Amino acid sequence: MSNEQIVSEVESLNKEYRYLNEVSIQESSAKGKLSGVCVSVKDCIVVKDMQSRAGSRVLTGYSPVFDATVIQKVREQGGTIIGKTSQDEFGFGSFNTNVGLGLNIPLNPFDKTRCCGGSSGGAAGLTQKAGFHHIALSESTGGSIVCPAAFCGVYGLCPTYGLVSRYGLMDYANSLDKIGPMAKKVEDVALMLEVIAGYDEKDSTSVKHEKEEYSSFVGKDISGMKIGVIKESLGEGVDPQIASTIQEKIAVLESKGATVEEVSLPLNNSYSLAAYYLIAMCETSTNLSKYCGMRYGKHESLEGSFNEYFSGVRSEHFSAEAKRRIIIGTFARMSGFRDAYYIKALKVRTKLIEEYKKTFESYDVLISPTMPVIAPTFSEIGQMSPLDHYRMDILTVGPNLAGLPHMNIPAGFSKDMPVGLMVIGNHFDEGKLLQIGKVLE
Amino acid sequence: MKFSGDVVVGLEIHVELNSETKLFCSCPRKEKENELPNSRCCPTCLGMPGSKPVLNKAVIDFALKLCLAMKCKIAPELIFSRKSYFYPDLAKNYQVTQYELPLGSEGEVALSSGKKVGLTRIHLEEDPASLVHNGGVQQSASVLVDYNRSGNPLAEIVTKPEMNSADEARDFMKQLITILGYLEVFDVNNGIIKADANVSVKESGYSRVEVKNITGFKEIERALNYEIARQKRDVSEGKTIAVETRGWDADKGLTYSLRSKESEEDYGYIIDPDLIVTEITPDWIDRINAEMPELATEKLKKFLDDHGIEETTAQVLSKDKKLAEMYEAVSSKVDSSLASKWIRRELPRVLNYQKKTLEESGITSEHMISLLTLISGEKITEKIGQQLINKLGEGPYDVLDYVKKEGLSVVAGESELEILCGEAIQEAPQAIEEYKSGKEKALNYVVGIVMRKTKGQAKPDVVMKVLKKLID
Repeated sequence: MSNEQIVSEVESLNKEYRYLNEVSIQESSAKGKLSGVCVSVKDCIVVKDMQSRAGSRVLTGYSPVFDATVIQKVREQGGTIIGKTSQDEFGFGSFNTNVGLGLNIPLNPFDKTRCCGGSSGGAAGLTQKAGFHHIALSESTGGSIVCPAAFCGVYGLCPTYGLVSRYGLMDYANSLDKIGPMAKKVEDVALMLEVIAGYDEKDSTSVKHEKEEYSSFVGKDISGMKIGVIKESLGEGVDPQIASTIQEKIAVLESKGATVEEVSLPLNNSYSLAAYYLIAMCETSTNLSKYCGMRYGKHESLEGSFNEYFSGVRSEHFSAEAKRRIIIGTFARMSGFRDAYYIKALKVRTKLIEEYKKTFESYDVLISPTMPVIAPTFSEIGQMSPLDHYRMDILTVGPNLAGLPHMNIPAGFSKDMPVGLMVIGNHFDEGKLLQIGKVLE
Repeated sequence: MKFSGDVVVGLEIHVELNSETKLFCSCPRKEKENELPNSRCCPTCLGMPGSKPVLNKAVIDFALKLCLAMKCKIAPELIFSRKSYFYPDLAKNYQVTQYELPLGSEGEVALSSGKKVGLTRIHLEEDPASLVHNGGVQQSASVLVDYNRSGNPLAEIVTKPEMNSADEARDFMKQLITILGYLEVFDVNNGIIKADANVSVKESGYSRVEVKNITGFKEIERALNYEIARQKRDVSEGKTIAVETRGWDADKGLTYSLRSKESEEDYGYIIDPDLIVTEITPDWIDRINAEMPELATEKLKKFLDDHGIEETTAQVLSKDKKLAEMYEAVSSKVDSSLASKWIRRELPRVLNYQKKTLEESGITSEHMISLLTLISGEKITEKIGQQLINKLGEGPYDVLDYVKKEGLSVVAGESELEILCGEAIQEAPQAIEEYKSGKEKALNYVVGIVMRKTKGQAKPDVVMKVLKKLID
């Protein structure tokens, strides 16, 4: 396909489904693993000279002066960047409906009355619909890769925290943010992970982990693998048809020689959501402070004092959910509340990680549905309270808090909508996730 | 806290550490000559979306030296936090600093009186940008921001409120500057040092007033003297002293109210999740300890006890690391009282005149050894010595060669002098007559002739002796 054909396909798709905030082609002159591959980039990952807004009006017109490390790596391997995909503003949502002011909400590729999931909704929808060879760069803080991948029926892998550099990622919550690939085929997920993984001196939280050939795990036998099925994830509050779809896939894994047992993660089931939202909101309320209409993005005519000016810019250009998270996050770190919320959440996080680490002493991977429901309709979403929204992440926040790699695997359909199975690995066990992914293809 | 002093002062001092690069990025720390605003910055120190901080470990070495020199306990881990507040000089609207666990705690500094002032903490943080108010802070209608300084490494030193006068505060600053100079972690000539002072007086019941942003250590005494007098005057006039924050206007020489402080500011500290915890290992501390120079207090003790030099001179020399080291080198070759006298007085006089630092002048211990060896061996007069050191101030040269070439050595041999004196007597018959008739002073004229003939190399008292011998 020529660039013109790709642009025309993306633009017509975009007209119908609104997957991209920015359609713009940047080719690479290099030859490598991604030659001939189109790469879409979640809006929160900066691409030099391509408007990057993290889905927010406050960043209108921001044209980064540098490339994120993952973008640099994609270019070095010959990938063609095709634009910036839609997301909830700064990643604040599970349905990609909390888009920034003036930006479009993407529509589910299977049913336009339903959402794509979030926050990497544009990436998932485009991955499902693209008729050309395409891999998406998406990002997860509390489930933003696997959730939309599940709702749109594609593979999405969120790697171990620190495996992929965050340099150039516009922060939601720095201790939780991870960049990972989405694709229609497991092979492409493995391919992109090979390209973007690796230590980066520009990101202090990046980890020196030995380079791995992730592609070599695709198609590898799983016999003897010990799989734990998370008990709490298949009970109350989970769509029974989703539960049965997952059970069918578990049977497939057993038939391929894996041992399957039920495991319980009581601490994660009870406390992961609260700990996640407190930490994420505390961090994000500081990250968003820099958006004040002074150096980049939206700015207004200079009137009044500095306080009046920046309050005006922020009031006008942040959406309601961004303001909600700033206010809650600021509250939870104020002196007098800080110990009860922020510090306690950090302690709980340590306990939750311990629970996972203990479980991984007995199991290779853990399995649950990715989401407790199929992609909801926009009218259903309209009925939900903010707390109902946050509860949607009950299955995904645990591995995100613990920095564990996890992947959505398309598992079948319920009411003609995709159902996702989530497989969680121990730190740096991305290979095992890819093995399971291929077996269930 | 219970106070008893007439005046109570505590200081919070910000010292710019003189690392090559900034605290969290690789931009140069030091201002370049004629640099343009916003030319020494990158995405990280500008707080651009997507940028990330990476800790400059060299700065930790500097901060550890400072903590050890001030006898602090060292934290086992270095952890950075975000201090949130909106201000146009903050690139991210939060400052990366240390909160729960400062790098150093519970230190002390001895004043020249011997009194020890306790330190609460020493921690590292990033410098904000500088704000440029055209026409002055209170007049300017707008403000410009220059990020060149943004992200420079600062050490914040917080004292206990244990000083009891402006004089003690100034002395504390002097001791601090001496320590910084010895450790070579601060650019004494160009570095920025700022202080906030907490001041209260007995008369007000120790109502605490904070005076912010005093730049330069000489200003601290001025600001404190003003503020102490203001508080005492206000109390005597029946006014109450409000707990508040005041600014220091150096041009007008007064403090002015910035904001009342009924409630403490809330900075909503969180651990900076972009930075990782740095372990401060015992090995690391051992290495820094091994690199620590002998400090001023140790030098002073040595100069007094072992060298037996005069106390004021010993103090002056020990305050300045470069002078102290030069003195030590020179006094190993020449008499210590001669060495101390010249390095304390003559050398600084020349440097002052030339407006040069010792380093810039290029004057070394070897120059001083050559010069002082000539003097102590009576090869040249002190007057010639002064001319030679003045010339060294203009630029280094080989002292011995020069003295030889210019024939500046003292005409010490009396036989040589006798010839010249004999000539002078012939040339000044009138003066000789006057001398013979009892006018003792008339002989000075003849001495002058001899000195001209010797180009000043002769010692006048010796010339006088020879003349008298010849005439009598």
